[in-house]
Amino acid sequence: MGFASSDHGARAPLAVKILIAGGFGVGKTTLVGAVSEVAPLRTEEYLTHASIGVDDLEGVGGKSTTTVALDFGRITINGDLVLYLFGTPGQERFWFMWNDLVNGAMGAVVLVDTRRLEVSFASIDFFESRGIPFVVGVNCFHGVRDRTQEEIRRALDLDPQVPLVLCDARDRAAGRDVLLALIDHLMAAHTRASAHPVS
Amino acid sequence: MKHWTEGFDDDHADEPLVRPYTITGGRTAPERDDLTLITLVTVISEAPADNSAGMRRLQPEHRTILALCKQPLAVAEIASALHLPVSVTKILIGDLIEAGHVRSRPPLAFAQAGGLPGMSILEAVRDGLRKL
Repeated sequence: MGFASSDHGARAPLAVKILIAGGFGVGKTTLVGAVSEVAPLRTEEYLTHASIGVDDLEGVGGKSTTTVALDFGRITINGDLVLYLFGTPGQERFWFMWNDLVNGAMGAVVLVDTRRLEVSFASIDFFESRGIPFVVGVNCFHGVRDRTQEEIRRALDLDPQVPLVLCDARDRAAGRDVLLALIDHLMAAHTRASAHPVS
Repeated sequence: MKHWTEGFDDDHADEPLVRPYTITGGRTAPERDDLTLITLVTVISEAPADNSAGMRRLQPEHRTILALCKQPLAVAEIASALHLPVSVTKILIGDLIEAGHVRSRPPLAFAQAGGLPGMSILEAVRDGLRKL
């Protein structure tokens, strides 16, 4: 399945995606904006009824729709390949659309804020349970490095193979380096898989 | 690009001027389920003239999509430009695919299948990111 092949006359490029996940306020949209070639775009989706607890609908009356917003950016890699970055809400009530979010995703960056590690637990659980490769980016934009990497790893109960990278989500180079850490992680996994194919 | 909230009255930000499903003729689910957020949509050929039979049935939003997709654009980008929810946008794009006005290119489904992207893709992304 070569990505350069084109079965279409107009040679549409192939789109790939990296998810930027983590709890509320950890800097997802900031990171997307720092590395995207366009200002972060926002799109909306309706919360499906299936994702809303039945009890929640009581007393809602005529208000039948609620939307969730997704911020995303774009990096044109070359004429054949476009990389999209999607800031993904970590809350469980948004997970109804994660099949679509995960579709075409190479992997994820889970951003954490050392002052509120717990808001990113759900994102880490999500990727671990689905076997989706991810790296953890520790957003140090407030300049506070009050915990060692080892302490953060322990608090997150992180698999030793999952890379942990310090970053400043506002900084383009730092944001790029977190994405590169994910690509390196994927390449290493690729090499392991080729060396020991799962039968 | 204008932020989507610009020009909206905050008190009514949740209430679009036109109910989105009016644009889709009451349809609430796309007939095709193969459109994803990053499926790339491209116009196949020049849009037919406005007075042709094919174009008359199209909503203004359909025409906007045709104008936007002269260059390949992801479903999410189209939804963002139209200020419409993704599910509504997918219905409109489905109409245009059905009518033969646009073609779509889906992403590879590696993560979903528990697989990994090919090494050539990873190398291309790495090289592209290094140039940032």
